[in-house]
Amino acid sequence: MILEAHDLVKRYPLGDGSVDALRGVSLSVAKGEFIAIMGSSGSGKSTMLHLLGGLDRPSEGNVLIDGVNISQLNDEEATLTRREKTGFVFQFFNLISLLNVAENVALPFLIAGDSLSTHRERVDALLDLVGLSDKAKHRPDQLSAGEQQRVALARALANEPAILLADEPTGNLDFVTGTEILDLIWDSCDRLGQTIVLVTHDARAAAYADRVLIVRDGTIRDEIELGRRRDHEARPLITRLAALGL
Amino acid sequence: MRLATLAWRGLTARPLRTALTIIGVALGVALVSGTLLANQAASEAVERAAQEVLGKAELRVRAFDPAGFTARTVETMRRIPGVLEAAPVAERRINTSTVGGPDEKVFAPLLALGVDPETEQAVRTYDLEAGTFLSPGHPEDILLNAAWASARGLAVGDELVFTGSDPDVPHAKIVGLLGDLGVGALQQGNVLVIDRTFLDDAFKAHAPVTFVDLVVDKGRGGDVEAALNSGMAEPFIVERLADAQIQLSQAQQGFAGIAFLFGLVALVVGSFLVANTLAMTLSEQTREIGLLRAAGLTGRQVMGIFLRQGAVVAVIGSVVGLTVGIGFAALIIGFLRSTRAVLVTGLPINPLALLIAFVMGIAVTLAASVFPAAAAARVSPMDALRPSLQPGRTLWGRLRWIVILELVVVLLGVAAYPVDRGDFGVPGIALALAILLAGTALTALLLQPLSRVVGRPFEWFFGAEGLLGRANLGRDRARTGLTVSALIIALSAVVTLGVVANSARATAERWVGSVLPGGYAIRYTLPLNIDTQQPELENVTGVAAVTPIADFPAVVREGDKQREASVAGIDPAVFSATGSLILVHGERDEAFRALQDGGAILVSEPVASRDHLGVGSTVELAQPGADSQVFRVAGIIAYTLPGRSADGAFLISLTDARERFGADTAEVWAFVKQADVPDAAFRSALEQRARDDSAELLTAAGLSSDLERSLDRVIGLFDVLALLAVVIAGLGIVNTLGVSVLERAREIAILRSHGMTTGQVQAMVVAEASIMGAIGGIAAIVTGVLMSWAVVGRTASRDFGAGLAIPWPLLISVVLLGTGVAALAGLYPARLAARIPIVRTIAHHE
Ligand SMILES: Nc1ncnc2c1ncn2[C@@H]1O[C@H](COP(=O)(O)OP(=O)(O)OP(=O)(O)O)[C@@H](O)[C@H]1O
Ligand SMILES: [Mg+2]
Repeated sequence: MILEAHDLVKRYPLGDGSVDALRGVSLSVAKGEFIAIMGSSGSGKSTMLHLLGGLDRPSEGNVLIDGVNISQLNDEEATLTRREKTGFVFQFFNLISLLNVAENVALPFLIAGDSLSTHRERVDALLDLVGLSDKAKHRPDQLSAGEQQRVALARALANEPAILLADEPTGNLDFVTGTEILDLIWDSCDRLGQTIVLVTHDARAAAYADRVLIVRDGTIRDEIELGRRRDHEARPLITRLAALGL
Repeated sequence: MRLATLAWRGLTARPLRTALTIIGVALGVALVSGTLLANQAASEAVERAAQEVLGKAELRVRAFDPAGFTARTVETMRRIPGVLEAAPVAERRINTSTVGGPDEKVFAPLLALGVDPETEQAVRTYDLEAGTFLSPGHPEDILLNAAWASARGLAVGDELVFTGSDPDVPHAKIVGLLGDLGVGALQQGNVLVIDRTFLDDAFKAHAPVTFVDLVVDKGRGGDVEAALNSGMAEPFIVERLADAQIQLSQAQQGFAGIAFLFGLVALVVGSFLVANTLAMTLSEQTREIGLLRAAGLTGRQVMGIFLRQGAVVAVIGSVVGLTVGIGFAALIIGFLRSTRAVLVTGLPINPLALLIAFVMGIAVTLAASVFPAAAAARVSPMDALRPSLQPGRTLWGRLRWIVILELVVVLLGVAAYPVDRGDFGVPGIALALAILLAGTALTALLLQPLSRVVGRPFEWFFGAEGLLGRANLGRDRARTGLTVSALIIALSAVVTLGVVANSARATAERWVGSVLPGGYAIRYTLPLNIDTQQPELENVTGVAAVTPIADFPAVVREGDKQREASVAGIDPAVFSATGSLILVHGERDEAFRALQDGGAILVSEPVASRDHLGVGSTVELAQPGADSQVFRVAGIIAYTLPGRSADGAFLISLTDARERFGADTAEVWAFVKQADVPDAAFRSALEQRARDDSAELLTAAGLSSDLERSLDRVIGLFDVLALLAVVIAGLGIVNTLGVSVLERAREIAILRSHGMTTGQVQAMVVAEASIMGAIGGIAAIVTGVLMSWAVVGRTASRDFGAGLAIPWPLLISVVLLGTGVAALAGLYPARLAARIPIVRTIAHHE
């Protein structure tokens, strides 16, 4: 298993008491698997993703990425693990405004202390992959929202992370542009064997996944096995969701 | 391209802000390096002048007796084995004028140095800016200080008349002009060099040889001194290079330290700017930093990016600052030279001074960037994902440590910097800095309630815009606090200077008033016999009393040790009747009665507290070689008459002075007016008398205004330094408001969409700036007055004994200045705010 979570609890202090955003979540993701996390607003999807990616620490429980228990690491160690093993795509503001497109894609290498020139080929390949080779020198604010997300995706894939975590990556996009992004993500999973964890409340996006986890009130309520399919037809998923009363 | 490039791009992405910050640091470094170089110029000047004044002479033998050494004694010295050359110098104060006629100009008195031209050239070289040295066979030749001469339109070849000189002797002729570093530096340039024989002939009187400079065979100084001690009949004192330096350096006392302090203040204000800028960059980029952290950038790497930015600003700012500082030093030096307040050389490019300024610039700037950098390192990856950014309140909170850190740096600088601080002791300065710290911190803490009160008039004036502007101040209290703090620091410097200067002025008046009974005196160019002169002067119309001030040199003995001192014999009856002298310890009537009875002495407070003297303690006075005379301290007085040393004179009764020390002459005579005679009439009678006697009339008013003038010149320079610090603080306001406006672009867009005009938007921002300025000004008044109290109010010193004198008009102008500077600083951010596009801004942000 490339990703495992055991009994995750996330508690936020609120006023005098506290609120449990997650109350005991366990899951495991196999290498190369594409899973989607669905749920209504406030159900705890983002919180879960943050814990799985090591952005935040659980109040209780453990997360293992590629066998490393990141919940027990200090900030420095967790950061280094993240650098090596994860890639993130968020809903917006993914890009560093001071860097151009190529530099944003190369960010993981730059962070690791390398220079852009040593990873030129890889960066070009990634830009090619997301179809932005002609915009390598553009600044983020000169891109459309969809293009920005494609850059973010290229960056997240740059150093071939163990898992790609995406939180509503298409939430800000129109249907066509969103589909382009999802196709790219799916491609990286299917062709390159990239493990994907996608948070969404859009059934059409979740339909790309092999498996859909339904989160409600901070726990995983249901799990829907879709299996790998080329058509990404949303109907079967919607029917299953309806059957579950969602 | 590497990650480190991010640091550089962060700076270039905001060119204006970066430039402002660099300018802030550069100005601070410029002030520090400029003042250091100016100090260097001042101390080198003293050293050089002292060396030139003594020339090759190792020893200066100064006569104790005002009548000076006899020719026999000079000859005796010349024959001491080991003495290679003995150059006698006669001193006499003379009044001069241009040759009579319609354009006749009369000048204030000069100190004439009568020399033997031939011996003189063997002893010292005269630094001549023009003309030649005195030549034998032309006794009427004279040398003058070049600056003194040019200020009075005199040049080589012009002639001067000595007031009161024999009409048969030829006019004196200017043959050479002296530079400022050497003999020309004596008496602040009020000096004239002439053949000794001419001086004697012109006044048909022997000008007293007050000192003889001895050139001594190498290594035999000690022998010669021993021979002097055993072989000389007349009392004398031996001076060396160090003594000459002390005499020349009195004007620079305190100057160096205070100038440096102001440089530091400016640097600290500049570094606040750095801290503020980096912190703003931080709050702007929190989301991006969070993203970088999510992508695996460690806290340490984030810190590195910020520290690099700080380092770039530090290095560029310091380099620019050094360059500007050299120019600035040239300005200060030119200014000091033109005012003649302080002796200076040309611009010295001292590598050590430049290095110190450079290192301080780098250190203070880096110190200021450490906290924002550390705060940036603590940005969590989650900060990238928070929907509404609360730009880390806690980050700002940490910035208050910068204030403390910076003040510690300054305090260490002040404590470590090796200069004579004059009256400003380290405890006083430390207390002042503590007050400054408390003042700025309290203001930052109380910003909300303060802005509510101070903002009232602005709300009334600007209406809703004023209200909104005021409310915006509370948005980020730490940032506003830091910006206002910088302004407070700079403005407090202005206030402190003003209060200190005003106190010194008040003290000067009180001092002169208290030591000059009747308020008038005539100073003669030579001491006159008391018995013959007194009846003469009593004849002046309107005189109720005339009293000689019989001053003479002596030594104070303490066990085996002895120290030079000045003593003045005064008439206790006159001083008592005119209410002169301020007694701080001892009962007034008793003290004067004791003086009258004999064997009593009055000691000035600074000397008493330094030497641990109280009423009832004893002081042993003597002339060299003679037995000690014991005096009982009858009172401690706030101020005393000036004397040869900086301590001023010990006062004894005239009778004691004459009977015990044979002081039968006096140069200065004080006059008391009859009650029914009008002031103007009395004054003109005295003026007439002084003119007839070719003497100088001194008035209390004139003396204190002289003191005030020389004070005002130096204070003027410091005011410029402090105002530059205010300018730096103004840059801080531009910076802060600029960012604040961009941060709330969306809100401004919404206000605009609801019908607020661009004019209103601008007014809102200017109101916000003005309120900051007004708060800064008011806080600076309180802080500055307290700081003045710390440095001045607590000391019992000759310069500030009158205590604090608050200059109210200045305080009001400081509030206006603060508000004005801030309002000006608000103009640019106001324009930024007015240009925010409504639709794009609203559409863009979620
Ligand atoms: N920092 C926080 N402090 C307190 N409560 C929080 C915090 N972050 C999240 N929560 C709470 O935790 C719960 C889960 O939040 P989360 O952001 O994970 O929801 P979500 O499923 O991602 O919702 P959405 O679809 O709207 O993004 C919510 O009730 C939210 O209010
Ligand atoms: Mg969410």
